[in-house]
Amino acid sequence: MTRRSRNSLPALLIAAAATAILVGPAEAGGTLTIGMTAGDLPPTTGNPDQGFEGYRFVGYNLYDSLALWDLSESEKAADIKPGLATSWHIDEGDAKRWIFELRRGVKWHDGCDFTADDVLWNMRYSADEKAPEFNPAQFAQARPYLGTYVGIEKVDDHTVAFQTKVPDALFPYEISYLLMISPCRAKEVKYDWTQYALRPSGTGPYKFDKTVAHQRLEFVANADYWDKTRVPKQDRLVLIPMPEASTRTAALLAGEVNWIEAPSPDALDRLKSAGMRIVTNIYPHNWSYQLNFVQGAFADKRIRQAANYALNRVEMKELLNGLMLEEYATVPPTAAYYGSPVLYKYDPDKAKALLKEAGCLPCKVKFAISTSGSGQMQPLPMNELVKSQLDAAGFDVSLDTMDWNALLKVGREGVADHLDINAINISRQTQDPFNALIRHVWTGAWAPKGSNWGHYSSPDVDKLVEGILSEFDGDKRLALLTKLNELMNEEAVLLFVAHDLNPRALSPKVQGFIQAQSWFQDLTRVSVAQ
Amino acid sequence: MTDIAALDQPLETFAPQAAPATRVRGYWRSVLYRLRHDPVTLVFAAIVLCIVLAAVFAPLLAPFDPYKESVVSRLKPFGWKEHWLGTDELGRDMLSRLIYGGRVSLLMGVMPVLIATIVGGLLGVIGGFAGGRVNTVIMRAMDVFYAFPSVLLAVAIAGAMGGGIGNGMLALTLVFIPPMCRVAETATTQVRALDYIEAARATGAGTITIIRYHVLGNVLGPVCIYASSLVSVSILLASGLSFLGLGVRPPTPDWGLMLSTLRQSIYVVPFVCAVPGAAIFVTSISFNLVSDGLRAAMDVRL
Repeated sequence: MTRRSRNSLPALLIAAAATAILVGPAEAGGTLTIGMTAGDLPPTTGNPDQGFEGYRFVGYNLYDSLALWDLSESEKAADIKPGLATSWHIDEGDAKRWIFELRRGVKWHDGCDFTADDVLWNMRYSADEKAPEFNPAQFAQARPYLGTYVGIEKVDDHTVAFQTKVPDALFPYEISYLLMISPCRAKEVKYDWTQYALRPSGTGPYKFDKTVAHQRLEFVANADYWDKTRVPKQDRLVLIPMPEASTRTAALLAGEVNWIEAPSPDALDRLKSAGMRIVTNIYPHNWSYQLNFVQGAFADKRIRQAANYALNRVEMKELLNGLMLEEYATVPPTAAYYGSPVLYKYDPDKAKALLKEAGCLPCKVKFAISTSGSGQMQPLPMNELVKSQLDAAGFDVSLDTMDWNALLKVGREGVADHLDINAINISRQTQDPFNALIRHVWTGAWAPKGSNWGHYSSPDVDKLVEGILSEFDGDKRLALLTKLNELMNEEAVLLFVAHDLNPRALSPKVQGFIQAQSWFQDLTRVSVAQ
Repeated sequence: MTDIAALDQPLETFAPQAAPATRVRGYWRSVLYRLRHDPVTLVFAAIVLCIVLAAVFAPLLAPFDPYKESVVSRLKPFGWKEHWLGTDELGRDMLSRLIYGGRVSLLMGVMPVLIATIVGGLLGVIGGFAGGRVNTVIMRAMDVFYAFPSVLLAVAIAGAMGGGIGNGMLALTLVFIPPMCRVAETATTQVRALDYIEAARATGAGTITIIRYHVLGNVLGPVCIYASSLVSVSILLASGLSFLGLGVRPPTPDWGLMLSTLRQSIYVVPFVCAVPGAAIFVTSISFNLVSDGLRAAMDVRL
C-alpha cells in the first residue's frame, strides 16, 4: 500500500460510515410499526398478559405452541392446526391421555434443538410449583388453560403424553394457548426472568431485538423459521402501546405508526380521507350481558327473552358507524356450530307482552358496566342506547359504571357476591367451543371457579356438556355443540347485542395483510413499501 | 378697638369648622362598596348568576328532553334543525344536556366545598384555639391527607367506593377538608394570642362565647375567601372524575362525562365536542375571578 493510499484510508472509512448512516440498513420488507390498544408492553417471558392482544403481537410472534391457529384465510372461522406438534391423538386405551407427536428439526432462536424434554420443562415452568424453573407470574397467565391438565410424560425424544383429569376432547385448544420458551436461554440467564425478558428465545417467526420499557418493543424477522411459508416479509416489527383511540388515530395520521388497532368508529371517515385502509372482519367476539340466574328479573326466562326482543341492534350498528354485526347468538353465524338458533329480532310489542305476562312492568334491572376495556368497544354510548331501548319496552335499567378492572373483579367473583346486579357487560372471546359456549352454562364452570357468572344450571345442559367433552369424534362433537348453541338461544342465556368487526386502520404502504376471523392475526405476510 | 371687638364676637365663630362629611362604613358595607367598583368581578358574578339560574330553571329553559336519543340524528353540527349546539353521539340535544349538565357541575362544585368548609373549618378552629395536643392530633391527621396530590386522592377515593354523584361528592369533600382545616387553624392561632381575647377571658367570657364572638368573626373572612376559590377546583375535579368514569352515572348529563364520550367523535363534529369543555372552562374561570374579586374586596389591609 502506498503512503498516499494509506493516508486516504481513514477518509474512505469515514465516507463509507457516513454513507451507511445516511442510507441505513437495507430494509427490503420495511418496518411495520403498530399502535396497540394495550396500556403497557406485554411481557416477553412466554404467555403474555394484556389479554389476547398480548398473544396476537408478542406471544405468537416470538413463540409457538404445540397447536397453532390457522390464520391464513379470512373467509372462515380460524381453527387450530399443527404447530410445534405435527399431530395429536387420544390414547386408544385411555380417554384421559393425549399423545402429541413433536416437530423434528426445529431450533430455538438461541440455536438449541427443540425436543420432548423442552415441552416437559415448559410444563414445569408454567404449572409445577416445586420445580426450580417454576415461574409464578407465568403460572398466573397459564392457569386458565390448565383446567383439566394433570401431568405430562415423555414417550420418546419427539413424543409427549398429557394426562387430563377427565376425558377432555377440547384439550388441544387449551394447548394452543401454552407458549413454549427456550430452556437453554433460561439456564443461561440462571432462571432470572427479568434477564430472560430482555433476551427471550423462542421458536417463533420473529426474534427479539430491543425494547424501551413501557414504550416500544422491536422484533426482527427470523429467516430460519421452521415454517418457510411464514418467514416474515417485513424486516422489523415495532410495537407501541397506545391505549387512547384518538392518540392512535393521530399517530397514524402523523405517520408515527403505519398500523393501528381499533380506531374509533367516528374517526373512520377522517382516516379514509387521508388514504388509510380500514380492514374489518367478523371474529369470535361478543358484546353481550351475562345474566343473574339466581335472583331478580332475569331468573325468569320470559324476561330474558323480553330483553332480547327489546333490543334494536340495527340502531346500535348505526351508532357504531356500521362497525358491528348484529348479535343474535353467543357465536357469529360463521361458527361451525352455529346451527339454526331462535333469533330474537327487534319486537318491542312482544317484549312488552312478555314482561306483562311475567308480571314485571316496569321491570327494574341493574347492569354493571365499564367505562373502557379490551374488547369493550364503545361501552358508554352503547350501554346508554341499550338502556334507552330497554326502557322504551318496559324495563327500568340503571347503569352501575365502574372501572374496567373493578368490573372484571365482579365478573371473576360471580353472582353470589353481587346478587343485586342483574347483568354484567364483559365482552368475551368465543374462538374455541369451551370459551364460546360451555363456560357460560356449565355448572362445572360456576364463578369464581369458571366464567359462568350468573350460575346458570340445568341438568340437560350439563349432560350435553359432559357428552361434548368426552366425544372424540369431530363430526359427532360438532353436532352436540350445535345442539348446545341452539339450546342456549332457546334459553336466552345472554342478552345478545353485538359482534365486533375488529377494525384496524393501515397505512397505504402496508401490503399483503389478510384479516383472519380470529383474535390472533398473521403478520408475517405483511410488507411495508419504502 | 378692632381687636377688642373681635374678642367680643361670640366664641363659636372661632370654633373649628365641621370636618367634611365622611361616612364611616362598616366592614361589610366597605366590602360591598369595593365590589361595586370592580367591573371584572361584577361581569363574572353575572355569568355565575346566569349559570346558576340556567341550572335551576333547566326544565323551563332546555328546548329538548336531554335524555331523548335519536341515533339517526347523531353528531350534527351547530344550528342543525332546532339544535343550536348540535347533537351528541346518541343524537341528544347538546344545548339541553349542557343546561342540565350545569346542575350536576354546580352541585359537585358547591356541595363538597360547603361541607368541607363546615367540617374542616370547625376542626381548624378547635385545633387552633385549643392548641397543644388537640392541635397536634388534628393537624397531623390532616397532614396524612396532604401526602397525596388532590387529584390522585379524589380518584383513589372515588375509585375505591365506586361511581355515582354521592360517592364523587364524598371523595371531593374528603379532599377539601384538610386545606380548609389548615386555613381555619392558621387564622385561629393568630387571633388566639391577641390581647382582646385575653381581655374577654379576663372579664369572665367562656370558651364558647369567645369562639363565637371573637374568633369566628375573624376566621370567617379568610375561610370564605378560600372556600370560594375551591369551588372552581371542585368543578374541575368533579369533571375529571366523570371523565374517568368515576363521577356521575350515564345517561345523566354531566359536562365531564359529555367531554369524555364525545372525544371519540372529534373528527366528525370538532366544535360540538369542545362545547362541554368550554362550559367547564367558563364556569370555573368565572368562579375563580369572582373569588379573586371577593378576596380583594374583603382584604382589610387594602
